Amino acid sequence: MQIQHPTASLIAKVATAQDDITGDGTTSNVLIIGELLKQADLYISEVLGSHTLRSLHSLYLSGRGLSQLDGVSSCLVLHVPESEARADTVEKSKLPEVAWGTFSTDSTVERAWGLHPRIITEGFEAAKVKALEVLEEIKIEKEMTREILLDVARTSLRTKVHAELADVLTEAVVDSLLAIRRPGFPIDLFMVEIMEMKHKSETDTTLIRGLVLDHGARHPDMKKRVEDAFILTCNVSLEYEKTEVNSGFFYKTAEEREKLVKAERQFVEDRVNKIIKLKRKVCDDGNKGFIVLNQKGIDPFSLDVLAKEGIVALRRAKRRNMERLTLACGGIAMNSLDDLTPDCLGHAGLVYEYALGEEKFTFIEKCDNPRSVTLLVKGPNKHTLTQIKDAIRDGLRAVKNALDDHCVVPGAGAVEVAISEALVKHKSNIKGRARLGVQAFADALLIIPKVLAQNSGFDLQETLVKIQAEHAETGRLFGIDLNTGAPILPAESGIWDNYCVKKQLLHSCTVIATNILLVDEIMRAGMSSLKG
Amino acid sequence: MTYKYSAYHSCSVQGSDSPGSLSSLKQEGGLYQDKHLDAAIAWQGKLTTHKEELQAKNPFLQNLLSAEGVMSSDGVWRVQAFPSGKDIPSLTRAFPSNPKSLIPPEGSIKVWSDFLHVQLHPKSICIIQKYNHDGEAGRLEGFGQGESLLQEPTYLEELEDRLHFYVEECDYLQGFQVLCDLHDGFSGLGAKATELLQDEYAGRGILTWGLLPGPYTLGEPQKNFYRLFNTALGLVNIAAHSSLVCPLSLGGSLGLRPEPPVTFPHLRYDVTLPYHSSALLATALDTITVPYRLCSSSISMVHLADMLSFSGRKVVTAGASIPFPAAPGHSLPDTLAQFGGTIPCTPLSACGEPSGTRSFAQSVVLRGVDKTRQTSQISPGTSPSSPLHACTSGEEVLAQYLQQLQPGVLSSSQLLLSPCRVVPPYPRFFSSRLNQQGLILDGTHNGTAVETIPVLTTLCSSSLLHRALGRLAGELANLDLRRWASFLAAGVEQDDMEETIQELHNLAQCYKDGDSLIN
Repeated sequence: MQIQHPTASLIAKVATAQDDITGDGTTSNVLIIGELLKQADLYISEVLGSHTLRSLHSLYLSGRGLSQLDGVSSCLVLHVPESEARADTVEKSKLPEVAWGTFSTDSTVERAWGLHPRIITEGFEAAKVKALEVLEEIKIEKEMTREILLDVARTSLRTKVHAELADVLTEAVVDSLLAIRRPGFPIDLFMVEIMEMKHKSETDTTLIRGLVLDHGARHPDMKKRVEDAFILTCNVSLEYEKTEVNSGFFYKTAEEREKLVKAERQFVEDRVNKIIKLKRKVCDDGNKGFIVLNQKGIDPFSLDVLAKEGIVALRRAKRRNMERLTLACGGIAMNSLDDLTPDCLGHAGLVYEYALGEEKFTFIEKCDNPRSVTLLVKGPNKHTLTQIKDAIRDGLRAVKNALDDHCVVPGAGAVEVAISEALVKHKSNIKGRARLGVQAFADALLIIPKVLAQNSGFDLQETLVKIQAEHAETGRLFGIDLNTGAPILPAESGIWDNYCVKKQLLHSCTVIATNILLVDEIMRAGMSSLKG
Repeated sequence: MTYKYSAYHSCSVQGSDSPGSLSSLKQEGGLYQDKHLDAAIAWQGKLTTHKEELQAKNPFLQNLLSAEGVMSSDGVWRVQAFPSGKDIPSLTRAFPSNPKSLIPPEGSIKVWSDFLHVQLHPKSICIIQKYNHDGEAGRLEGFGQGESLLQEPTYLEELEDRLHFYVEECDYLQGFQVLCDLHDGFSGLGAKATELLQDEYAGRGILTWGLLPGPYTLGEPQKNFYRLFNTALGLVNIAAHSSLVCPLSLGGSLGLRPEPPVTFPHLRYDVTLPYHSSALLATALDTITVPYRLCSSSISMVHLADMLSFSGRKVVTAGASIPFPAAPGHSLPDTLAQFGGTIPCTPLSACGEPSGTRSFAQSVVLRGVDKTRQTSQISPGTSPSSPLHACTSGEEVLAQYLQQLQPGVLSSSQLLLSPCRVVPPYPRFFSSRLNQQGLILDGTHNGTAVETIPVLTTLCSSSLLHRALGRLAGELANLDLRRWASFLAAGVEQDDMEETIQELHNLAQCYKDGDSLIN
């Protein structure tokens, strides 16, 4: 992200960090920080900046219809943008009405009126501690069943793509994670490969219980579809290499040359023969297929020999797929063909090739117990593909977070409303002016339900007040129904957010808002600070 | 920065670049474009079409397009099939008879794609969105920035996927050619890329060509110091991970102090124009890489690299004579005998004048010498005037000459019949003394445009590098890196720089002339 403004770039950095840690909540992050600053500003700038004062002063002294205020006079201490304070735009009648303080050119006025940022930040800190306590109380610990996970994924995905697509992705995302989850081990999201295919429409995105490779066999005689196949994964060069020694061939006759070339090739042929031997051993009844997936190259001669034996061979498998291959199909990735045994082989129920324009895809499906799966993203154009890929990544993270946390929190703005109310109550326990900071924090959190209401086309205040009232009356967690604008119970409608996202939000927003508030002045923004 | 992999004679280009440097070049190339919009409209209701105007192509590109394909009035793009033979599609046929109109106006050329007429495969280009191509801020200018780019999973995976697409297609993978800028952040990107390539495709040749801009001024100290840092870090890191690395530049030196750019006796080129300098470097590169690109040749990338990089001398220098000064009617032995003790080569590696240095190993390619002129046609019975005249084949003549020149040096030489084609869009900067075949006439102007030129190139590991690398290390040691905090911020540490200086000294040591050991 290319952001020129230093403050904005700082906020963008937090959003990036949020995305790295939790995979969700980047927008909330920006919203809350912005709102925290805005609320703080109300308290800090509760006095006119000295330049505004001065311009007003001169306005008064010029005595345009304001001579009754002679010299030391009352004046407004509202935030008036400088442009509006010009003599001709300020309506005379307004000025005496909002006269709150005593006007003086002395700069002590500023100290008397504005809250020092440090005090606000103290309030923020206190509010954060309380908010985390509240969050801890309202989180719901329960068994992470498929239903709950579907709800979590749906909540996350519906904010990113349209509903129809979100439903397709929800199932795919949850099922993929449940497939790769092993009790007692942390979930490795890399084991869910996301593969894109510019084809059909986005709702054709599916979960493949196996792998999809974006290349095919290079020999025309190799079968395009093999059922019930053994899979050999290896990292052995089946490519004829010229001798390392810079010698060249020495021969007198054509036969001699043949012989030399043959000797050179012997190494590669031996390797190919080992594979063929194993194939004959395991597939003697003739019904089973045999697939070789090699990380290194296979030259046309070797391909030819393998094709004659009915072996399908794919060369140059991607390195990051090698681990996935053995996890999906079973078996061991072989680095040498010397000790080949049938135990090294994996198994897949169906392997087939699919050509799309000049691109070929090889599907390895129906694996017995896949511990690595593929989400095949389809879409008509590059933009859709990227969008779906991003959505899927976020969905995966959301489900993973839920599985890691063992708990969820109600969504739809319910958490923010609850925390905000708890903070307002908590305010009286804080001594001194720091309580204003707590108030600011409580108000700032309400930006989330507000934005939800606004984006669904409802009146901000009305919706918010309704929810707050419901919450205050019943003490249950109410959120916004985005379809009707009425309060709903997210827990009952299956709207769940991640606990860790909210926690991270509270932490990072407070820290960054505090940081920004405590900056006195930006002297110069260096080049390196501009990267988002 | 461009990668090229070569599998004997099929080759493809992959590059990564910052947005903006492609200008009117479409990321997906023009070949696959489907503009049949009207045919696919199934929507029954009202339809509004919004069209975005393409960035105006300069007249030269439009000419190119109309010469290669037919851009019909409805915007449908059809490409004429070129016969795919061994030689380049005959450009002279494709271009109209009036070549004047095809010379690109020099002012309109801003980026490399403006004079590129190759249609790229849609998978070829990978654009780095993170940095700006030019402008004040946000450019990819530090080694660390480039290096960290390839540590980000998005770029890394994209690069791997794109590369994989081509690599999987290869029957016999020889290796990779990496072309990258040494003076900016791309040197870091190149270093990381070669590291990944070496890791993934062990045993394959990785030949890296580090490109440097020709002229620079002392006026912009930041740029100048960055250039020095990037060059040093790039050279050392790339040398560690590739089979061979060769700096290519028209500038005079690698160091801080600007030296006048190199000159070619029969060319009048403007060193400030990337259009001119890239044409010259491309010509040299095209010829230097001949040994492992030809079907008939038995040398592979690895062999060439092994021969030149003997005992750790992984940095090599290039030189070229463009055009190779031959007069019409003279045979190759005559021409070579004229030169006397030196090959008429312009150094292209910004390492200074090669005089007084010796080379340890070299690969020399000469192209564009007629079959009839390769040997001296002496009538039987007369004794040859020199050993060169006695040779029976052109290859022998060249090999013999090199042997005479520098006895005891490991040399490999290649002689090619086909000359280098210089029809537009090649810039026209040749002296008027050249005829159509690029041969030198005796001072008379004959008016015809030069179409082909003979070219001689050398790639050698020379003791010149002892001085050049040592000097680079010395200049680095005198600088205080802490003054360039923004460079450090991008991920390079003070210790890295000290290590680099040490490495440069070590590299320089490899090129120490054997004689000086005795002294």
